[in-house]
Amino acid sequence: MSDRPTPIDSRVKVVTPENIAFEYRLAGPFARIGAYAIDQLIIAGVFLLAAFVFGSVSAALALPGLGAFAVLVSLFLLYWFYGGLFEWLMSGQTPGKRMTQLRVLRTDGRPITARQAVMRNLLRLIDLYPYCYVLPDVFNEDVSIPLPTGLVCLAAMAFSRRYQRVGDLACSTMVVAEEPSGSGRAAKDWLATGETANDPQLQRVLAALPASYRPSRTLARALSHYASRRRYLGPGRRREIARHVGAPLAEQLGLPPDTDHDLLLGALYVRTFLNESDEEAMASGPEKPPVVGANPVLAPAPPAESTDPTAAETAPPAPPPTVGVAPGAPGYQIATTPPPNTPS
Amino acid sequence: MKTAELVAGHAPQWRQLEQLCTQLESRGTRIKLGAHRRTEFAALYRSACADLALADAYQLPAETTRYLHNLVGRAHNLLYRVENAHASDWWEELMQRVPRRLYRDNYLRLAAALFWGGFLASALLASRYGAMPNYAETVLGQDQIQQLEQMYAEPTNQGRGLNDNVGMSGFYLWHNTTIGLRCFVMGVLLGIGGMFETLFNAVFLGAAFGHMSTTPESDNFFTFVTAHGPFELTAIVMSAAAGMRLGFSIVDTGGLRRADSLMLAGRQALPTMFAAVFLFLFAAFIEGFISPSALPYSLKSMVAVLSTLALLGYLIVLGQAGDADGIDDEQLTIEG
Repeated sequence: MSDRPTPIDSRVKVVTPENIAFEYRLAGPFARIGAYAIDQLIIAGVFLLAAFVFGSVSAALALPGLGAFAVLVSLFLLYWFYGGLFEWLMSGQTPGKRMTQLRVLRTDGRPITARQAVMRNLLRLIDLYPYCYVLPDVFNEDVSIPLPTGLVCLAAMAFSRRYQRVGDLACSTMVVAEEPSGSGRAAKDWLATGETANDPQLQRVLAALPASYRPSRTLARALSHYASRRRYLGPGRRREIARHVGAPLAEQLGLPPDTDHDLLLGALYVRTFLNESDEEAMASGPEKPPVVGANPVLAPAPPAESTDPTAAETAPPAPPPTVGVAPGAPGYQIATTPPPNTPS
Repeated sequence: MKTAELVAGHAPQWRQLEQLCTQLESRGTRIKLGAHRRTEFAALYRSACADLALADAYQLPAETTRYLHNLVGRAHNLLYRVENAHASDWWEELMQRVPRRLYRDNYLRLAAALFWGGFLASALLASRYGAMPNYAETVLGQDQIQQLEQMYAEPTNQGRGLNDNVGMSGFYLWHNTTIGLRCFVMGVLLGIGGMFETLFNAVFLGAAFGHMSTTPESDNFFTFVTAHGPFELTAIVMSAAAGMRLGFSIVDTGGLRRADSLMLAGRQALPTMFAAVFLFLFAAFIEGFISPSALPYSLKSMVAVLSTLALLGYLIVLGQAGDADGIDDEQLTIEG
């Protein structure tokens, strides 16, 4: 699992005590600078508000000293402990991070402790180094404004595996991007473009496919990636992308050379993920593809019900299946099978 | 068995887990959740784990796999929550482990030597015994000197009511604690940053002390600084020592990986820094209320003596009590 070369991307794998590896998407400097800017604005806003409220209250009570005390203490707390306090109380998020859907976690994937939250935020001072002193002559005075360049932070992120700044390294935390938790919806992406599986053109290509052909596992993954992104692409771009896989495939499968590559990928996608119709053809095919045979659980398709009796009552309705669903969905007995492999 | 069918079969359970996650994440609904639902949560989490483990074999589409990664991560963090430290743990940390660590801490000695050495040398140079006549002016700058002399031109108890004292305490709290925290944080720069920051503060303060001793305002000045001096200066030294522990842990790793060594040092240094913050807090209130008050000088020096005794008690009496937790002990908790 770990000795296999991993693709260069910003995902980090966490292995749970159940020996399941799940992934987080790491947040790089540009994802985090937005959250930082929001937090700075909030700090400035809260400080101004505190100054105004404490100032006017203490003026009304004729106790300016008390007002100054309150303002300075709030400045102290905001400046040094804003991030630490929120990341502790909101389990790894500040308001800025919540708005930009980031979260601080330990590198082993667990939530951070109070100590880590405080420490990594104190050390932010180092991460902002070196300062560049700007001398604006608007005031016509020797006022220099220190602007943080954050080069230390960028260097640390570049040299660490998980985009960790110095503060993260010192308490072994990382910042991950929480992806918008869409829905359990899966295989209807192709249809989201308005074309249905019943599209006659698609059906024609589907019919032309050799009955025994099954895409390999990597091709299947590529197909699902293509299908989930397809709706964001224009027709020209689709042709361009689909050509790279479609042209060699059309040749290999002996399809007419004028086959639309986008449609070909669509047909393959439907065959791999959606269609039920040619199940028999596959079963009687001469060479059983290793893809299905490799899964000991799914091959016999056990007609089991979910063993959790409450699941059906309280669960919201399932997403509308795109194609007729057979009643025998595999239930929880899968969970008792030791996972033969983990996703790479 | 087609993917669409498989997803449709499992999605209700995923959604149910998602619902439970939402309920567990907010404190209000978490309390209302019964034991039955909680065990259900664990079962649902494990089955989602199994689905994720088999995602490759199931040929789940990329989007569904991503969804499952998110869901499992979210549930994992709810299941394996961390207990937050209780107040008694903090008390034990501050009153037992911090002084024991400091008592045996070479960085505290180094920081103290740097600070007091720099301070005394600078004070001597700036005083009338110094060999460099323009030393104080070079270090402090003309503006700063004027400001200092002006500040102590009158005895500080003149014209300051209780109300001003409160405000000034706030200022000292903000200003001095920020200096201390900067000393601490700068230490991370391989210890050199912290040494520089410590030495800089020492030289600056020493020059101010030395210069003020040559001026006619020296009485007002020394009457003012006596009472809060012990707490404030010790707090700076402690912050610097905590920072150096951080920075030098990257250089001298004691056989650990540099990142682990830094992490271990961070665990030890942060409570020390918090002890220093408390000292700054005490110092700010003494500086706000006692130092500028009209109390006779003998009482103010009594405060200084008492606070020095308290510090010695903290560092030596509490420090000597019992063994320092062996570093091996703390290494075991790196992962935790």
